Amino acid sequence: MTFVDSLDTLVGATLLDNGLLINSLIGVVTMTVIGCLCALLLERAARRYQADELTIVDLINVRLPQTQCAQCGYPGCRPYAEAIKQGAPINQCPPGGEALIKNLANLLGRPILPLDTDRGETQPPRIAVIREADCIGCTLCIPACPVDAIIGAPQLMHSVIAADCTGCDLCLEPCPVDCIDMVEVQQTGVTALRLPRIDQDDLNLVEYPCIHCGLCEPACPRELAPQLLHWHRTEPEKMVDLNLSACIECRLCDRVCPSNIPLTATFQVAKETQRQLIDEASMAASAQLRFEQHTQRSLTSTTTLRARPQKGDRKALLNALRKDS
Amino acid sequence: MTDALAILLGTIFVNNFVMVQFLGLCPFMGASQKLDSAIGMAAATTFVLTLACAISYLLEHYLLQPLGLEYLRIIAFIVTIAALVQFSELVIRATQPVLHQVLGLFIPLITTNCAVLGVALLNVRQNHSLFESIFYGLGAAVGFSLMLIVFAALRERQTGADIPAPFQGAAINMITAGLLSLAFMGFTGMGA
Repeated sequence: MTFVDSLDTLVGATLLDNGLLINSLIGVVTMTVIGCLCALLLERAARRYQADELTIVDLINVRLPQTQCAQCGYPGCRPYAEAIKQGAPINQCPPGGEALIKNLANLLGRPILPLDTDRGETQPPRIAVIREADCIGCTLCIPACPVDAIIGAPQLMHSVIAADCTGCDLCLEPCPVDCIDMVEVQQTGVTALRLPRIDQDDLNLVEYPCIHCGLCEPACPRELAPQLLHWHRTEPEKMVDLNLSACIECRLCDRVCPSNIPLTATFQVAKETQRQLIDEASMAASAQLRFEQHTQRSLTSTTTLRARPQKGDRKALLNALRKDS
Repeated sequence: MTDALAILLGTIFVNNFVMVQFLGLCPFMGASQKLDSAIGMAAATTFVLTLACAISYLLEHYLLQPLGLEYLRIIAFIVTIAALVQFSELVIRATQPVLHQVLGLFIPLITTNCAVLGVALLNVRQNHSLFESIFYGLGAAVGFSLMLIVFAALRERQTGADIPAPFQGAAINMITAGLLSLAFMGFTGMGA
């Protein structure tokens, strides 16, 4: 006799005949058992397959500027991302500025707050430069740098690797002789176009809005859709989807456009913007990697390496020096 | 084997769940903005639908019918299918993080997908065997995936089209879906 058969006899012979109450009781018990089994399965599965809690932190982290400047009050960008997930305010990052706050508010569904100016002001991108004549080779700035962008040895001159510097200001504090300057990075302008509007300036043609006539599409030797690219010119992601990088800037679409739109010039600007975005992303990724390695190293060998100097350390050091002399 | 083929072709084309039976319209409209997400949603639905058919068959024939609890069918199916979906989400999240990122929100959405429950209930109504139920579910899922991907491709083409302002957004999507449905009426003559 199988399990089902035995249940059948149990239900058919004794329970079902006794009326509605017992019948509905079976229903309740069955549903409870099914529910409990499902809950048990899910509970086991949740324990067996630990959910990756890091994903949301990662999403926040890639949006942070990766300067590792600690102006937010956390040791670096990733710790701040973790704190945001736990509920820390999203307006503590001066390098990211308003754009970052909007981005994070969108991502997390939180209200947009004004930047917390106690933490500092948003400044144009800068890098640290050591006045090499004044450097005494004390090595104090080297462990302070969160991305290992300062090289140097005791009693020897130090130097900043410009490509790796995130402009976090953290090296200014420990320097006993104040020989580090923050220098603004020259912004490469997107407005500087390499090519004049061909033929059209000479003829004084008037530019009209795009009428989506589609004449540019058969003209394009790379089979792109210039009218779509022009339509989405302010949306970098769409431009990537439309394969902007395949444009060879041949200007054939300019020639056929009845509205005299300088299409190629628009695409050049878009390409330049794209290039800058990619540069920024790769810079941030490298800064993050260096910061992670830096933290890892100081965690594993706290005995051989100095901990990251705190604000008061410089004063203490100077006092110690004065006492010695 | 011919049975299986007949069921598959029948559910994919003749009785297509989205276009002929109008089940699973919410993900059909919601997850078809981009081809990528449509493919992800289609894969998730195929997986869940096939599994749900097998589970609901076992539940119906080895628990509900012996106990005379057919009236609890809908609740029991919903509970088990919901648990199944949650379970598959947990497994996918842990083992296939990339797939999970693509599917993202869609997996829990399938819980409330009427196509999943609809197929399970239709299986019972049509007295399918276990083998037939699984193929019915698979066919329904493939039909759903086909429509979702075709519709997503159409919508991607639409982004470039010059649509008059009153028709933009949901309106043109409804019209497109209606035309697609009309096209699928042509398969009715195939029988099955």
